[in-house]
Amino acid sequence: MVLDRILATLRNAVSISPRVKRNLQREFARSALAKLGLVLVVAILLVAIFAPFFAPHDPTEQRLNQSQLPPLGFSKTVETTSSEFVDGEITLVNETTTVAAKPEFPLGTDSLGRDMLSRVIYGARTSLLVGIMGTLLAALVGVPVGLLAGYHRGKVDDTLMRIADVSLAFPSLVLAIALIGLWGRAAVPVPDPFVAAGFAGEMPATFVLPGTVIIVVGLVNWVWFARVARGEALSLREEEYVKAARALGARNNRIITRHVLPNAITPILVLGTIQIAAIILLESALSFLGFSGTTLSWGFDIAQGRDYITSGQWWISTVPGLAIVLAVVGINLLGDWLRDALDPGIEGEGGGP
Amino acid sequence: MALGRFLLKRVLQGILVVWGVITVVFALRFVTPGSPINAIAPLDASQETRQAIAEELGLDQPLYVQYANYLFDLLRGDMGFSYIKGQEAAGLVFQKLPATLELAVAATVVAIVLSIPLGVLSATRRNEPVDYGATLFSLGGISTPNFWLGIMLVLVFSVQLNVFKTSGRGVGFEDVVASVFTGDPFLDTLITWLSFITLPAITLGTYFTALITRLTRSGMLDQLGQSYVRAARAKGLPETLVRYKHALRNTLIPVITVLGLQMGTLIGGAVITEAVFAWPGLGTLVIQSINLRDWPTLQGSLIVIGAGFVVVNILVDALYAYVNPQVVYD
Repeated sequence: MVLDRILATLRNAVSISPRVKRNLQREFARSALAKLGLVLVVAILLVAIFAPFFAPHDPTEQRLNQSQLPPLGFSKTVETTSSEFVDGEITLVNETTTVAAKPEFPLGTDSLGRDMLSRVIYGARTSLLVGIMGTLLAALVGVPVGLLAGYHRGKVDDTLMRIADVSLAFPSLVLAIALIGLWGRAAVPVPDPFVAAGFAGEMPATFVLPGTVIIVVGLVNWVWFARVARGEALSLREEEYVKAARALGARNNRIITRHVLPNAITPILVLGTIQIAAIILLESALSFLGFSGTTLSWGFDIAQGRDYITSGQWWISTVPGLAIVLAVVGINLLGDWLRDALDPGIEGEGGGP
Repeated sequence: MALGRFLLKRVLQGILVVWGVITVVFALRFVTPGSPINAIAPLDASQETRQAIAEELGLDQPLYVQYANYLFDLLRGDMGFSYIKGQEAAGLVFQKLPATLELAVAATVVAIVLSIPLGVLSATRRNEPVDYGATLFSLGGISTPNFWLGIMLVLVFSVQLNVFKTSGRGVGFEDVVASVFTGDPFLDTLITWLSFITLPAITLGTYFTALITRLTRSGMLDQLGQSYVRAARAKGLPETLVRYKHALRNTLIPVITVLGLQMGTLIGGAVITEAVFAWPGLGTLVIQSINLRDWPTLQGSLIVIGAGFVVVNILVDALYAYVNPQVVYD
């Protein structure tokens, strides 16, 4: 019953008008970057969802005899000089060894011999799940608060804006590491639907969802949604149709869900897109610093590879970083497309890393 | 005196926000599992010892008394005693603050010096190679995690080319200034300082360079299409005057707004940049004190960071009022 009403509200809120659809299409046809963004995002979504089919190996399987293999095309010969104890005397031995890339591991392996390509593919899941769920949580908290404050104004609004000020005074990364560091790094194992259904049996059967991270990134970013929703509600409450609805005797909550929210949805959607990118960057920073519940994450792999950049294994850090850049570029391009087509007039980009 | 009253009002609001920050930081300890006594007492401490520690820390008092004590201590500049470090927390925090400020200022300077000319150039030469380059750079810059950028810079400039230092701070900026007076070799000190700060400053500054380039470009394009620009050109003003005196000044208004909002991002970015380059600042201190459950130091650092954000935003508001004479002081 309640669920039905929430769904109806949502359907009502995100119904796309013909004008919006036309603007989106026109901007898409005009902008090559929008097309690139869509391609990148769709590709990464597909890879993340169907990770067990794309990944050539189990991303967590260690092969200590095949560790630190370079990516294809970066085979190299290393000359090592070592001192050895031969016939009771210490002699220097010069050895030339070839570290050859192997086609089974196209992006190389990490220090424990885990396949980088598979780790990057599975890392997409963590990033996108945290990005999308964190953004939804932030919107779920921020939008109602912002709409109520902007619509009712007065004391409610003042209180909210002061809370928002305090919330903004904590940088999201600092607050997030404080909360996760103190509350613990909850890891929720979720069964992989494809493996559970009997496909790709050699892949890990469960997938670890960093629970605390999702809650915390949502909690530290709600204020951006509250600000945007409040601004919209402040101007929409003066619209004729809102006054008409009020004159007809509609209750405030009905006006907010049926009239204010649907008309405020465009900037909220644009902000949501930008927030997914911002939260992916935030998640990678958190797992880089070791504040995450999962070890299958781009940020975590960058931290692992950092110890090896001075010894020549540059790819362990480089590859997952490139994946982050591609994902975030794609989402930012989509955000630019929505913003240029719909022109919601929001200021700022909303909390980066 | 509208400006004076406006600033006074902002300062009062700022004090209110800092009070809120202190309250949240104080509350943080009570929504966190585990007692702070555990971090101090030995594992086999007797009940009496634990009781003594609780009394020493004032933890046996009612909550509102603890809160009031904490507020009054802070007013006297006392953030509590860090038993884990064996020092006053305030001393630790203010000892680390200059390094973080230096890094943040250096990054901001890098960002402003590079981004505004780049954005203007990009807007005035629209659809030329310069514009495409700038657009590509700013898209990449806002999409790159800064800690990864830092590692890549280390890989290229330190591991391959061996030009910059990758960890620590070496000398502070105050040493560079001091060397002018004390007769220390000035150039050597300056070079040492630069060799340490260059990579962290670029790491932290790139996101902002990219962001401001983007904002300046779109703002300039918007302003150059306005009718007052056409009027200025029509009456024969030189193009440089039209661009830099008229259009750029109006472009800077939204840029300053966003900069103020993004101060939190700058401080957050400083935390992670410090982690990459072992920069001995507040960020390193925050992470350390979280891992050690060093409550007084953690709380003190968070309060200083929050207060810093508030102060910078008041300064931004003042700058905003200065740049934009139309601002309404309400």
